[in-house]
Amino acid sequence: MDALQAKLQQKSQEYQKLQEDLSAVVEARQKLDAQLSENELVKKEFDQLTLENTVYKLVGPVLVQQDQAEAKSNVKTRLDFIRSEIKRVEGQLKDINSRAEKKKTELLETQGAIQQQAPVA
Amino acid sequence: MASASTSQPQQINVADLELSQLAEVRTQLEEELNHLTNSFTQLKQAQAKFKACIENVGEVNPNNTGKTILVPLTNSLYVPGRLSDSEHVVVDVGTGYFVKKTRPQAKKYYESKVDFIRGNLETLQETISKKQDNLNYVLNIIQAKLQAEAQSAAASKKSKS
Repeated sequence: MDALQAKLQQKSQEYQKLQEDLSAVVEARQKLDAQLSENELVKKEFDQLTLENTVYKLVGPVLVQQDQAEAKSNVKTRLDFIRSEIKRVEGQLKDINSRAEKKKTELLETQGAIQQQAPVA
Repeated sequence: MASASTSQPQQINVADLELSQLAEVRTQLEEELNHLTNSFTQLKQAQAKFKACIENVGEVNPNNTGKTILVPLTNSLYVPGRLSDSEHVVVDVGTGYFVKKTRPQAKKYYESKVDFIRGNLETLQETISKKQDNLNYVLNIIQAKLQAEAQSAAASKKSKS
């Protein structure tokens, strides 16, 4: 009986840990989404630029002039990076979700076992 | 996010839920509504900022070339300056990038921003009113359940006495 209780506690702790991981990953995913849309807006803006538009980049407190082509490719690499990050985080999300699901069934099984023993004890 | 939570009560008939569960649904709906209205005000603020930018761009015009202005270095420190280029402004386009634009271009940029936000505001408004409807529906059911409970309690009291 005590062994089962200990097992239950351990399992629920593990489950909680997984839930925490999950919310952290979800947060990361949301942040990436925000970055993606911001960068997409910048890219859209860059696509509309004419040659006379000078592009500056904010470096610390000062604006540094930058080549239009360079700025464009910068944003493009950033977009690619963010997209691959999103894919990675999605994978993590799936993994954690399935692990949490598994843990949950284990948890319920242990609970059921305890309840079955309870009337006897 | 919103669709997942709204479709769930429709799959399970809300009227079949226990009072405690209904209360949970209610708090969840209220939270979501809160979050959405917060986003709404934030968007409104952003829109107002862009509108102010349009006006400011209008102030930088050839009539004002060469006029003295006070340039803020910090919130409380200003240095005198002169408006030398009345044709160009530098616009923050996000993620640390700034673009030098002519005045009409800048105006167009800010107008498209305002429009973009307006579109978002409209969809958000729709979502909010849908959420509000859902919440009202749940509240009605809670009310009805409470009344039914009170009535049955009163009835059983009567039959006892």
